[in-house]
Amino acid sequence: MARVKLFRWQSLIPLGILFVLLGVLLWLFLDVLVERSVERSGTYIVGARVDLASADVRLGDGVVVLRGLQVTNPDAPMTNLIEAREIVLNVRMAPLLEKKLHIDTLALRDMRFGTPRAESGALKNPPPGSGQIKRDIDRWARQIKIPSFSLEGLGQVVNVGAIRPESLQTLAQARAIVAASDSMVGMWDQQIRALDPRPQIDSTRAFIAELRAADPARLGVAGITTLGTNARARLTAVTHLRNQVAALDSSARGGVADVRSLVQGLADARDADIAFARGLLKLPSLEGPQLSPAIFGEAALSWVKPVLYWMRIAEEYVPPGLNPRRYAGPRRARRRGTTVLFPTGQSTPRFLLGFGEASLALGGTGAAAGSYAARITGLTSDPMLTRTPIALLASRTDAVRGPRDIRVAALLDHASRPIRDSLAADLRGISLPSVTLAPLGARLLLGTGMSNLSLARSGDQLDARWLWRSPDVRWERLTGATPGDAAAQRIGTKAWADDLLWRTIAGIDNVEIDLRLSGTVTRPSLAVRSNVGETIAQSLRREFGREVERAEQQVRAKVDSLVQSEVARARAMAETARAKAMNEIAPRVAEVQQVETQLDAEIRALVQRLPAGVRVPALSIPGLPRVGRPDTTVPDTTRKTPPDTTPPDTTATAVPDSTPRHRS
Amino acid sequence: MLTILKIIQYLVRALNSEGTPGQVAVGFTLGAALGLTPVVNLHSLVFIAVIAVFRVSVPGALLGWLLMTPVGFLLDPAFDAIGRALLLNAGELTPLWTTIYNTPILSLANLNNSVVLGSLIGWAGLTVPIYVVARIGVGQYRKHVYPKIATWKIFKAVKASKVYNVYRLFQP
Repeated sequence: MARVKLFRWQSLIPLGILFVLLGVLLWLFLDVLVERSVERSGTYIVGARVDLASADVRLGDGVVVLRGLQVTNPDAPMTNLIEAREIVLNVRMAPLLEKKLHIDTLALRDMRFGTPRAESGALKNPPPGSGQIKRDIDRWARQIKIPSFSLEGLGQVVNVGAIRPESLQTLAQARAIVAASDSMVGMWDQQIRALDPRPQIDSTRAFIAELRAADPARLGVAGITTLGTNARARLTAVTHLRNQVAALDSSARGGVADVRSLVQGLADARDADIAFARGLLKLPSLEGPQLSPAIFGEAALSWVKPVLYWMRIAEEYVPPGLNPRRYAGPRRARRRGTTVLFPTGQSTPRFLLGFGEASLALGGTGAAAGSYAARITGLTSDPMLTRTPIALLASRTDAVRGPRDIRVAALLDHASRPIRDSLAADLRGISLPSVTLAPLGARLLLGTGMSNLSLARSGDQLDARWLWRSPDVRWERLTGATPGDAAAQRIGTKAWADDLLWRTIAGIDNVEIDLRLSGTVTRPSLAVRSNVGETIAQSLRREFGREVERAEQQVRAKVDSLVQSEVARARAMAETARAKAMNEIAPRVAEVQQVETQLDAEIRALVQRLPAGVRVPALSIPGLPRVGRPDTTVPDTTRKTPPDTTPPDTTATAVPDSTPRHRS
Repeated sequence: MLTILKIIQYLVRALNSEGTPGQVAVGFTLGAALGLTPVVNLHSLVFIAVIAVFRVSVPGALLGWLLMTPVGFLLDPAFDAIGRALLLNAGELTPLWTTIYNTPILSLANLNNSVVLGSLIGWAGLTVPIYVVARIGVGQYRKHVYPKIATWKIFKAVKASKVYNVYRLFQP
């Protein structure tokens, strides 16, 4: 029998050749692979295109040179956030075998910010998860309510027709009161009819008269016993009736109290409706603190969004702790899946940049011209493994003219919990951006000024202040109207409003904008304050405070006219319910209680009239209820009076009373 | 067109190779690993080496790769679920994944990816069924189908082509 050969030794050489070929291919295409890898991972992180002109990998020297890096600004796809001509990295080789990237030094040359792009860097089909942080921040920005600001319509007939009845709280609340009152009154009527206490009251009164007239000596023992038994049964029935009527009364009083509180709330609902209607008509506020968010709100959001974005990026890619981390798998024809990282306290970080340095020289003679330098140390994906905070320091090292006070310092301590981030940026003598202020119909050119940003984050809490100040601003009008136009004379027209605002802001030379962010990192609150808002508010108060007041009166009158009839109906229905409770239910309780008291008194009197030594069990049962103390709690009507187990005293024998007589 | 012809060649030769049905079935099973798992990974080199070094049917492996690739795409959601369950929900396995993730070379195998791990485990679980089905299938083919198609002109043409000589190098 031939021995089966297990190995195919002759295939080793072709196999070796295959592997060598693969190695050669890898080596040949390593530059392209690194280039694509940088572009893909950068694009994923930023959420916009990251382009790299070329990559040069020198494995023997452990040097990687990246050229022509362009990182698109995700908020402005036609602009680069950062552009660097050359980046030189000294990479350690051994960690690459563990799919880890450790860079000893990194040098960025000719770094520039905000350069224009030849083509849009927006992603047509962003990978799942990419740009998620940007989307979160955009969502947050959308839910920030920026107050409206418009002067149009003032001085004209206010279009109160825009106020729709169905949007008013007062109407809804008034209708609820009517419905509740109507329902309660109907229910009480049913319950009163079901109880029908009148026949029982009348028959009990007749029985009381019978008791009063009863003569024990004439009735005899048997007659007294029968009368006593009837009296006890009657008293139990009346007590039961009294409890039922009292429960209805209690329920009615509760319902009346509820309706009363709803009626009282109508005033608050009306105030809310007036505020709501005022917002619909876009009547301007005349208070500075409310005007500043209306004027600078959009600009403030566009300024703080990048700050929040990079802070969230830092948290996402420099996470605290060592728990397994999940990321989307590599892009391929097959499903990407989830890649899970399992760092340990003994391992090295997945990414580590020991020292990075960037230099930038801006030519010319402008305020920004000069040399800048930035350093970053300890940048890592696993701060728990390096145990050192990430530090960034950027400053101007030389200035052609003007002040040199440009300094940015950031510290990210994610090695401990809670994570702590801090950022202090103090920029003086720099060119501040121009801001389009649509509500004012003008563009504000801030010119040369200062910007100071201080930010502190601890765990989930954020506290930041960003101050912009410029002593010499210029204003540009967005519209073509010029002061003195005929249209500008008509109060309430857009031209009139623009003209008024323009006259106000044109005199403002010194502008200060103060932004504050506080609260949680994911949903912070934003406050904006500016001297522009205060100045405009003063001007508005001076110019047409009375116009606004008149318009507000019209709004108030319109709201009142829409809700008046329904409110009156609600009040009337509430009063009807109250009257029903007070006039029909409460007197019945008193009447039943009175009858119960009288019956109890007559029973006591009958017991007093009994001859000495005669004891009628029916009139001396310990369980005989005491009267005169109305039971104010709702009785348990399912409970029945316990059956009388005492055998009827049919012998009517006079028993010597050796025990003290029981008094009920 | 040439590619399609080659595919037909492999298909015919694999089923009709001179290797035993067992060798073809083992080759098919190993080739299935390449088809079921994402191919651009370190484990693919291992499978290729095993197919080349051991006396299994190479055409069988190519056939397994070819047929199982679309199956791999279809089963990706299941593989992803298996991988996620093992990587994220099986706490007792975390030390194993941690060791693999932090071991040089082994960490390049991407076993910390849910689809890679799930498809490898899925293939391992399907090894025996794939082998049994492949073995029975090859036996049935040789007994009933081959005698009929051996008389076809196209079959004779394929068998006479130069590719057949290359194939013979790896024939078990």
